[in-house]
Amino acid sequence: MRVVILCSSPYSETGCAVAARMAQLGHIPVGALTLPPWDRSTLLRKIGQWGLRDSYKYAVAKLGPNKITNRTQIRNPYLEPFLRHEEGIFRSLQNVARQYGFSVVTCRNQNSQRAVDHMRQWSPDLAIFTGGNILRDEMLKIPRLGVLNSHLALLPEIRGMSSPEWSLLGGVPLGITIHRMDSGIDTGPIIVRRKFAAAHECASLVDLRNRMIAEGIERIGEAVKGLDLGSVTAVPQAKLENDSVFFVMHDRLKALAARSLLKSRLNPVAETCDG
Amino acid sequence: MTTRTLRALNETAGLLRGPQRIVPLIAKLASDELRTTFAARHLYSYTSATVQTASALQSVINWILRAQRGDGGIAAYYSFLSGYSVSYPEVTGYIIPTLYDFAQATGNPAVTHAAERATQWLLSVQMSLGAFAGGLHGTSRAQPSIFNTGQILQGLVRAHIESRSAQIMERAVAAGDWLVTVQQTDGAWSGPAAYQGSAHTYYSMVSWALAQLAAESHEPRHAAAANKNIDWVLKHAKPSGWIDGINLREHPLYLHFIAYVIQGILECGILLRREDAIVAAAKSAWVLLRKFETNKRLLGTYQPEFKAGSKFTCLTGNAQMSCVWLRLFEVTGDLRYLNAALKMNEMLKQLIALKGRREVVGGVAGSYPIWGAYQPMRLISWGGKFLADALLLEQRLTRQVEIDCDTKSKNSEADSEFKPEASQCAS
Repeated sequence: MRVVILCSSPYSETGCAVAARMAQLGHIPVGALTLPPWDRSTLLRKIGQWGLRDSYKYAVAKLGPNKITNRTQIRNPYLEPFLRHEEGIFRSLQNVARQYGFSVVTCRNQNSQRAVDHMRQWSPDLAIFTGGNILRDEMLKIPRLGVLNSHLALLPEIRGMSSPEWSLLGGVPLGITIHRMDSGIDTGPIIVRRKFAAAHECASLVDLRNRMIAEGIERIGEAVKGLDLGSVTAVPQAKLENDSVFFVMHDRLKALAARSLLKSRLNPVAETCDG
Repeated sequence: MTTRTLRALNETAGLLRGPQRIVPLIAKLASDELRTTFAARHLYSYTSATVQTASALQSVINWILRAQRGDGGIAAYYSFLSGYSVSYPEVTGYIIPTLYDFAQATGNPAVTHAAERATQWLLSVQMSLGAFAGGLHGTSRAQPSIFNTGQILQGLVRAHIESRSAQIMERAVAAGDWLVTVQQTDGAWSGPAAYQGSAHTYYSMVSWALAQLAAESHEPRHAAAANKNIDWVLKHAKPSGWIDGINLREHPLYLHFIAYVIQGILECGILLRREDAIVAAAKSAWVLLRKFETNKRLLGTYQPEFKAGSKFTCLTGNAQMSCVWLRLFEVTGDLRYLNAALKMNEMLKQLIALKGRREVVGGVAGSYPIWGAYQPMRLISWGGKFLADALLLEQRLTRQVEIDCDTKSKNSEADSEFKPEASQCAS
């Protein structure tokens, strides 16, 4: 399979991990389309999410003169198996691209004509979205099998943002859904939908999210393999009576979600449910 | 020259009479300019205020207490140009429930006393036919006003609940009966006592007051009038969630009025146990919630069908929507309403001045930035009222949701011994 990776930054750990994982599984990354590293909105978003100190540490790890050699230097340590290679740990898409021989294109908007032209030129079988702009139909339709997204909740129950946290508060089992993107918010047909069984091992919401991201990359691998073999099909999402879009969770509710998570640590039996 | 221009010039001339207001005015203009220039908004962002809800609330209530005039009425606004207005009966009326709520939450007797003074002043200005006059007190020839009578009625009903005074109840019933008398056969209020003579869907707030009165008076005519008006209002609901019929000439559709329509319908739905009203209010409120969550703000005005209007922010409308979302959370248990309201309250708290001149501290501006089209250059008492309501609701509901989550956690722990399929703590 010829695969393109879409990222919010060339230093995105998730983007690097997906690209590397695809190559490790025998697929061919043919290109990566990323927003610039100094994109104002990305920077502000990251500083908002992580705080100044962690953002600074991240920047030093990615841009400093020293190579990353151990997992403590990775923001999401669960990505280490994907990011590790003979000479250390990938710290940018350029590193991954050098290793596996594909090009990285930086553009201010992933829907721009330049981005569309590159995507057409790469002519991928599919693209994998790990971050960036809300994609328009023109871009979504270029890859033969569409653009895949790993959503950190079960669809269609929980769409949108802060999805693991909303799952915890809403009593919806934690899960990961790989779906083909369309113009709606997480409304595209489902390829893989799996419950996340390791919540009881998670120390915090950040830890939960990190583990789910790593698990999501494995599920993307599963979806791509299935699409390659023709053993899976994308199933349209069931229509729900109510709007199931969720938005960024306020810290006070996050604190409640964290308490819910703690509860599942104390009571792991509850996590083994299926359905 | 239009009346509006003359009024604006007159207000601006107030700076000559009170040059001490020049520095606070410049400070406010500068801070709003800086804030609007550098505010970061992206998909994952929401404003995070440094001030705690309790201290913001105290600050807003203190502002309202300072706006209470010598006669017991509460000023409509503090203008950066001309200072405090005279007492405004309408706002004085519907601030009374807020003052009582705050007094109950904090046990502050001074606030109860302020509510009692406000009530006594209102009783002294009630017209013999039971109605209350529109406009600022004593500034024009007194004409009975349907909307203002309805808003004041909310205060009288609450004052009766708190005091059990037969006199207050009698006056509240007189006001309610007058509203019933002037209601049209189709359920709308129009005619000379209606604003601009026309029927308006935001008079659902009048129905809310009548529904509150009905709960105390036990007179079926009060509930019937409220129900009839809500039937009329709901006929204006569109499939998109938009509710038509605000029907104001020479005014844009400020969020304040849109929120009034929704708030009135919702509260009537709750009090009169009308599912149709709650559903209509929720549909409309959800559209605005999605806009707020996506764009990180609500616009100051909208065109019909929620099409974008002016870019300034109408803070009162924002606070009203926060109240609506919090009440919808209370009714439906959908945490997304609480989530949006928490974020909205953060934004509103951040925009209150915490230091400076006493007329300014705790005041809620009509518009953000202050030069926006809705009540420009003014801190308005109804803005303070709705923000205080939103913060009081936030305090009560967040406390409740935390207790609920703990209870459910404990129950689920106990249950899980018997039901291994039990999932996580659901709120």
